[in-house]
Amino acid sequence: MMIRRLFQRMCNAATAVTLAVLVCGAVLTLAIGAAALLGYPPLRVAVLWLHGAAGSWYALSSSCADACPLLLTGLAAGVAFRAGVLNIGAQGQFLMGALVAVALSTRMMICHQPVLVIPLALIGGALAGGMWGLIAQYLERYRSVPVVLSTILLNFVALYLAEAALQGPLQAVGTAAAQSPEIAGKYWLPLFVAYTDFHIGIILALVLAVLLWVLQERTVFGFESQVVGLNPGTAKAMRMPVTWRQFQIMFISGGCAGLGGAIQVLGQVHFMTAHMGNYGYAGIAVALLGRLNPLGIIFSAGFFGFLDTGAFRVEESSLALPHDMANVIKAVVILVMLVLAGISLRRSRRVGNPGSSAPTETPSA
Amino acid sequence: MATPPLALKLTGIRKIFNGIAALDNVSLDVAAGSVHGILGENGAGKTTLMNIIAGLIRPDSGSMEVMGTSLPAGGVRASRARGIGMVHQHFKLVDNQSVLDNIVLAVSKSLWSRRPQTVLRDIEHWCHELKWTVDLQTPVGELGVGQQQRVEIIKALCGGGRILILDEPTAALTPAEVDELALAVAGLAKAGMTVLFISHKLHEVTQMCQVISILRRGKLVYSGGVADLSVEQIAEKMVGAKVDVPRLVQAQGNTKSHALLELESVDYRISKRTPLILKQIHLRVHPGEILGIAGVDGNGQSELAAVISGAVIATAGRIMRSGAANADAPAGSAYIPEDRHKEALVLALPIVANLLLRKYRQRPFVRWGFCRFGQWRGHATNLVRKYDIRCRDVDDAVGTLSGGNQQKVVLARELSDLPELILAVNPTRGLDVGATAFVLRQLLDARTRGAGVLLIHGDLDELLSVSDRVAVMSGGKLLETPWPHSTPEQIGRMMLGGA
Repeated sequence: MMIRRLFQRMCNAATAVTLAVLVCGAVLTLAIGAAALLGYPPLRVAVLWLHGAAGSWYALSSSCADACPLLLTGLAAGVAFRAGVLNIGAQGQFLMGALVAVALSTRMMICHQPVLVIPLALIGGALAGGMWGLIAQYLERYRSVPVVLSTILLNFVALYLAEAALQGPLQAVGTAAAQSPEIAGKYWLPLFVAYTDFHIGIILALVLAVLLWVLQERTVFGFESQVVGLNPGTAKAMRMPVTWRQFQIMFISGGCAGLGGAIQVLGQVHFMTAHMGNYGYAGIAVALLGRLNPLGIIFSAGFFGFLDTGAFRVEESSLALPHDMANVIKAVVILVMLVLAGISLRRSRRVGNPGSSAPTETPSA
Repeated sequence: MATPPLALKLTGIRKIFNGIAALDNVSLDVAAGSVHGILGENGAGKTTLMNIIAGLIRPDSGSMEVMGTSLPAGGVRASRARGIGMVHQHFKLVDNQSVLDNIVLAVSKSLWSRRPQTVLRDIEHWCHELKWTVDLQTPVGELGVGQQQRVEIIKALCGGGRILILDEPTAALTPAEVDELALAVAGLAKAGMTVLFISHKLHEVTQMCQVISILRRGKLVYSGGVADLSVEQIAEKMVGAKVDVPRLVQAQGNTKSHALLELESVDYRISKRTPLILKQIHLRVHPGEILGIAGVDGNGQSELAAVISGAVIATAGRIMRSGAANADAPAGSAYIPEDRHKEALVLALPIVANLLLRKYRQRPFVRWGFCRFGQWRGHATNLVRKYDIRCRDVDDAVGTLSGGNQQKVVLARELSDLPELILAVNPTRGLDVGATAFVLRQLLDARTRGAGVLLIHGDLDELLSVSDRVAVMSGGKLLETPWPHSTPEQIGRMMLGGA
């Protein structure tokens, strides 16, 4: 019986994904149509876009590598929102993770065996992100500062902390810029397909997503954190350890984001600046598009990565689509996707609830 | 005699939810200037019908007329412009804003036309008309329920409401406040308003309304003068079969045996600077008895329940369970809280999950930290059958159920394990006759098998009909009454602070 229900659930997820993919295609065409209005040949933009994002093994690998940090920050937001912990601080946690990972693989090396350095850097990054998140949770619990507020503020603290470190102890030799030395090649995350961007961080992130899905949907811990998120009053009356669960969830959430930062520096960019992209903020959109479901987030992160990489290739191509234009198209696509997701969500809710007091306890950012 | 003009005329209203007809071909005439009672069980369609009139829900078919001209369906603004004002059962007020701001917010037509002065004049006019005093500067959250309701009514009137819909207005009121509301409703009718009064408390409806309409399972089964039917006939039409309100056969205080729950000199205050809310509470609950605690709302009952359930910590005194000091409720005790939406249910989760909220950590519902959903469903399906919870599927969200069925979910979860001690706070609030009887019968059954029940209840009639002993909360103090050797009137006087 349980297997059948599991299967049903997977089917539901699958149809949702198919639908999403279909819609993506339609929407991409639409957005590129908009490009046409501005004087760019739409068909060529579309072809270049698709080709740049998925036209070759290499293109596919760079889409995936770009999706990888988004997947992790998306998981960070998704796990937290589902438990009612409004962690908007994935950006800061991501930076802290990256900072610690860079430190552990360049200036603060304990040993020189890659087998030890890489895991240490990854774990260190995850721990740093988790701890950074716990600060916010501590402030909410014991100093009545809402998590939404403190996580946003801590993003800036993390940003300037990273800049200070990158201009101080972690600065590369022979430069005035705030950037770290390059990580030695032997400490890079190994590739599982040579001459591409397929590094094992991607596999790690996917495994983590599946594990989180199991944790959320199948375990007592996941059930409790969901109840805590939907109705803290009932959770308390049922003697659930509300505060403890919130701290745990925040640690897991921050840990995901921190791991994302660590994987990004070790697997993709191999050195660090304080401006490594807005993966943390984009993660919130990724999580919402994935309906806070870790498996859904895999696909929404992949979609974002695909868009990003494709846009980059169109910019680089002979067409020389301006960077801003590519960003506009990306933004339109994401906006339309979110609206569509919102409509389908509303429809499913309307079917579910005849009463006037329909529960609208979906956490939102 | 000329027939009075119709304020509201509904024809053939039909609404389907999930394939079930919530309203089936309902036609209703409401005379202008009348107080019209709408009666029905939970889930009979009363609120749905009112929401349709107020424009919150669009009916699948049917037409509406206000004062002889047709009213387009599904538009809140249209309904409001035609003078329909709704006072919802769960108030739609902004707690941290003042009374005046709340009313101005509701009345303003747009962001740019906020006119506190004109609104103020309206408010004063209506307060005068209804002989109410309302402090306009107090934040709404600091007002009692009765006062908040007045704010809602004034809000509807200032918004141009000429046909007022009061959805379960008495559910949260004390007896004295109900009487005041009755006066106000009569005053409104005299001032030319039409009032639609929704309730399932029969005596209130018979007292306040001239005309009643009765809904049963989405169908209109009666519409006519209230005097033409006896109370029993009305109840029968609502439920469809004769109901017997459960009643204790013989009261028997079992004070000799050991106490399941004992409070010794319990004090409670929110902080050092606030006055005591509970003063020197002593009470004992023994096996096989129902100890009823009566009182006018706001005399410390909620706090007493919170202290006993462990939601807050007593400032002084001792709470003992089965003789052992223990702040936490042990496994053998059940809690039916006052507000099931806040403390007992998770509306967005399925019935299964809600039924398992106490036991999900126990075998066989968990293995190695993993939930065994197969076992959950089996358990839930049993409970749904045993407690007659009406639902399509155990995977439906609890929020889709009617109030009575939601309460059955709580009861099924809390009582199915045969707890020794039951703490129930207003367990029948907002429930219809059938569901009320069901809840009270469950409590009586628990008592018969030897459980101790502490029943804190605002409805004195129900409380007296099932309690072995009765105590009264008044001003934070708990006074034992000689019940059953006293009259309800004497207890009523004690509730108001007299001896």
